[in-house]
Amino acid sequence: MKRDAIGSPIERKTLIGQRVRKPDAPDKATGKTRYINDMVLPQMLIGKVLFAGRPHARILRIDTSAAEKLPGVHAVLTGKDAAGLKFGFVRDNVAIKDKVRCEHDEIAAVAADTEEIARRALELIEVEYEDLPGVFTPESGAAQGAPLVHDNFPGNKSLHFEFKHGDLAAAEAASEFVVDSVFRPHHVTHCCIGTSCAIADFDHNGKLTIWTQTQYPYNYKMDLAPALGIDPGDIRVIQPPIGGAFGSKLDVYPYEPIAALLAKKAGRPVKVIYSREEEFRASPTRQAAIIHMRTGCTRDGVLTFRSADVLLDNGAYTSWGPTIPVIMMRTTSGHYRVPVVDFKAQAIYTNNPYAGSFRGYGNVQTTFATAQQMDMLADMVDMDPLEFHLKNAQKSGEVTPQKSFLRECALPECLEIAAKTSDYSRKRREYAALRDKPGRYKKGIGLASSIHNAGGAKIHKSDGIGTILKVDDFARVTVISGASEIGQGIDAVITLIVAEELGVPLEHVTIVNNDSDIAPWDVGVHASRTTFIAGNGTRRAARKAKAQILNAAERMLGEPADTLELRGGFVVRDRCGTPLIDLERLLRRMHFQAEPELVMVTDYYEPKSEPEGAKHISDHSAAYSHAVHVAEVTVDTLTGEIKVDKVTVAQDVGRVISRMGLEGQI
Amino acid sequence: MQEITSYLAPRRLDEALQAMADGDATVLCGGTDLAPQTESGMRQYKAKLLNIRRIERLGGIEATGDKVRIGALTTISEIRCNPALAAIAPVLVEAAEHFASEQIRNAASVGGNLCNASPAGDMIPALLVLGASVELACWRDGAVRKRQVPLEQFFVGPGKTVKLPEELLTGVVFDRPAAGFVGRFRKSGPRPALEISTVSVAFGARVAGGRLSDVRVAMGSVAPTPLRARHVEAALEGKALDAATIAAAVAATAEDAKPIDDVRASAWYRSHLVRVFVEEVLNDVRGN
Repeated sequence: MKRDAIGSPIERKTLIGQRVRKPDAPDKATGKTRYINDMVLPQMLIGKVLFAGRPHARILRIDTSAAEKLPGVHAVLTGKDAAGLKFGFVRDNVAIKDKVRCEHDEIAAVAADTEEIARRALELIEVEYEDLPGVFTPESGAAQGAPLVHDNFPGNKSLHFEFKHGDLAAAEAASEFVVDSVFRPHHVTHCCIGTSCAIADFDHNGKLTIWTQTQYPYNYKMDLAPALGIDPGDIRVIQPPIGGAFGSKLDVYPYEPIAALLAKKAGRPVKVIYSREEEFRASPTRQAAIIHMRTGCTRDGVLTFRSADVLLDNGAYTSWGPTIPVIMMRTTSGHYRVPVVDFKAQAIYTNNPYAGSFRGYGNVQTTFATAQQMDMLADMVDMDPLEFHLKNAQKSGEVTPQKSFLRECALPECLEIAAKTSDYSRKRREYAALRDKPGRYKKGIGLASSIHNAGGAKIHKSDGIGTILKVDDFARVTVISGASEIGQGIDAVITLIVAEELGVPLEHVTIVNNDSDIAPWDVGVHASRTTFIAGNGTRRAARKAKAQILNAAERMLGEPADTLELRGGFVVRDRCGTPLIDLERLLRRMHFQAEPELVMVTDYYEPKSEPEGAKHISDHSAAYSHAVHVAEVTVDTLTGEIKVDKVTVAQDVGRVISRMGLEGQI
Repeated sequence: MQEITSYLAPRRLDEALQAMADGDATVLCGGTDLAPQTESGMRQYKAKLLNIRRIERLGGIEATGDKVRIGALTTISEIRCNPALAAIAPVLVEAAEHFASEQIRNAASVGGNLCNASPAGDMIPALLVLGASVELACWRDGAVRKRQVPLEQFFVGPGKTVKLPEELLTGVVFDRPAAGFVGRFRKSGPRPALEISTVSVAFGARVAGGRLSDVRVAMGSVAPTPLRARHVEAALEGKALDAATIAAAVAATAEDAKPIDDVRASAWYRSHLVRVFVEEVLNDVRGN
């Protein structure tokens, strides 16, 4: 009760953009947070997976009888338990395989009382293979007569993407300089501190509860259901605190349906958790690519066209990963003004571990290629690269060939700030002059820029988010949000926005965003959308609650609602800050009256972006962000060792909500 | 897989050695090699798990007399931060600096690093150039028996040493380096920390009147065991460190370093790095 404070005016204060502690930080820093690794359910079994250990083979025979007889083993799965239960982006994957297509293919799984028994059971499974010739690069996979990874995908062709704009031949003819190069960005693993883990449990109505570290709980149900042959509506997804995602949890991977199939067969909860070694082996990677890029410009250094012919190493199965050309083509066609664009990408099946989605979503690969070619062209034109970048950088108000509308484009400012702060132009000239002089150590400086969607990417039918917000009798706020916390800091963002709108302390905000049976729909954490989309959703819900509270205050106090504000736990006069009533007291009066009302509101926020569409011509994000990085390195020419001396970053981050979240991510 | 049937954590050395007498005990100290090796199936636990960390007087650094003794339990962090060693044998501190990461340095022991017998073990080349020996102890005929083995005779292959299953490495000893001793350690890997050496080179010698004597050169990750580079040493012994001597020593590396291609580097690159490091280290010593 703060009634005694009534009288002294309460000033308008804001925590938005301040360095405020993340709500989950104390528990995480002290080890109190219970991750999925720590979770133990009564009667829970441990599941373990048998990997093939060879890249391409037929399974001639598999004998699990000895494993099944081992005391303490409760379920054993082989390919026949998952037969026909195809999942994945093009339904080419099953939880347990009947043919080996990559080294980590899951051939069998067991659930046992302990991990030791499960391991021993795996050792007792006999498998006889007939090895087959494999394909290990996209080029060899695409070659005539190459062994097929999947019989029903001729030419080993997986997904294909294309975007064309303008007359390429004419643009080439009008180009004074053309640079033509091939870039090969490689596989990268996410290497999350928390390894892959799922716990699955069925009730006797056939409903599955799965504890997993997903970053897209609602569409996850759609993707998981076919791997189990159940209705997506019968899946409840609970997300314990996560030990890293970086895009990797934007898909269903075989260990998740394996946990569920084991749980179903054993009739008990089953946990599958990968060791670090298993994680490196079985988790997806960033897409390796072969990018053949060509860019042209005039004698004056004005870009004339850019073409990119991309081969993606799909790996053995198609996850969401091979959809990255959707982002690759936006980088190819935008941030530098290219009037003519010709982009195509073909994902090729290989017997390599399959690639998944990875933060940046293809942008990293094409940004590398475009940045290299900008420097090459600048040298050909004999222009300072900074000047060349600035001359071609897009500006606010421009529309890219794919119809991305750059409402605010900070690329020129980012270029100027990063170059000035790092003294880029002078250092580049100096280091270049020293390149052929004697000396073991050489220095280098490089500049690269990027565009990325910063307000979602409407690749699904909706890019929206549902929010439920309630304020209880003690003025404690609960936000039930579809936005998942995967370490990116959305809990801090939601807390700050609620505190800002409702004038309550940060500690009085509770967030429920880890249970698909409770929280409303959200498309998932991806495309740098969550602060923007969930932040706007939270603000809209909080404003609805505030309107309800201030209207009640108007009725009780006789002062117009539009002259009132919520501050410091009180209803105050907006103009002078004079507190009129304690918020808690007002809420209880609203609740316990003849016509009672509780403050509980809902909101569904859909950003004003356009669906991606099959032609890829749409303003698919509500905002676009630009960044420029300058890296300074020292190279030991005798050992090849490279030391990064300094990185200067100029990044358009928009309005900062959680400053520590921002500082942690740049 | 064999089950661990008992866990022992004795306070006295003789108790530990008695537990080891049947050769059926796995020794646990820092666990930084043991845990990943057993976890991945590379290595099996024996019936007894013997934690030696609580054994009294098995750790610590004694550097008062002519001999320097480092107890087996001494952590890499303790070596790194020891002021006496920094004065007497800075090459050891330098090697500790480049060892894994802070967390691993805090847990890993010098005894464990030696017994793991990795060709890339970071403390080994530095101890080799100090002319160190290891102390091995066992329980035999009702008493503690000890022997000393020169470190360069200790390793017989990757992960293999002359230590018997019933023996415990209790410490490492070396003569206090003579006046004018200089030592250097150089290690390479793609990352500055948490890196298994692609190649490591250590150098130790007395420099007096512009000439080198008692030259010891050791290399890691260029053969199945860490080794003394006898040909390089011969090219340097008794010589003045001029350009010709350095060139001869660099050329001699080809006789000593016999690296292989593996996931971390090619044999060609390793041989090249050895030449670069030997030349760099010698130029550095010459410059001072």
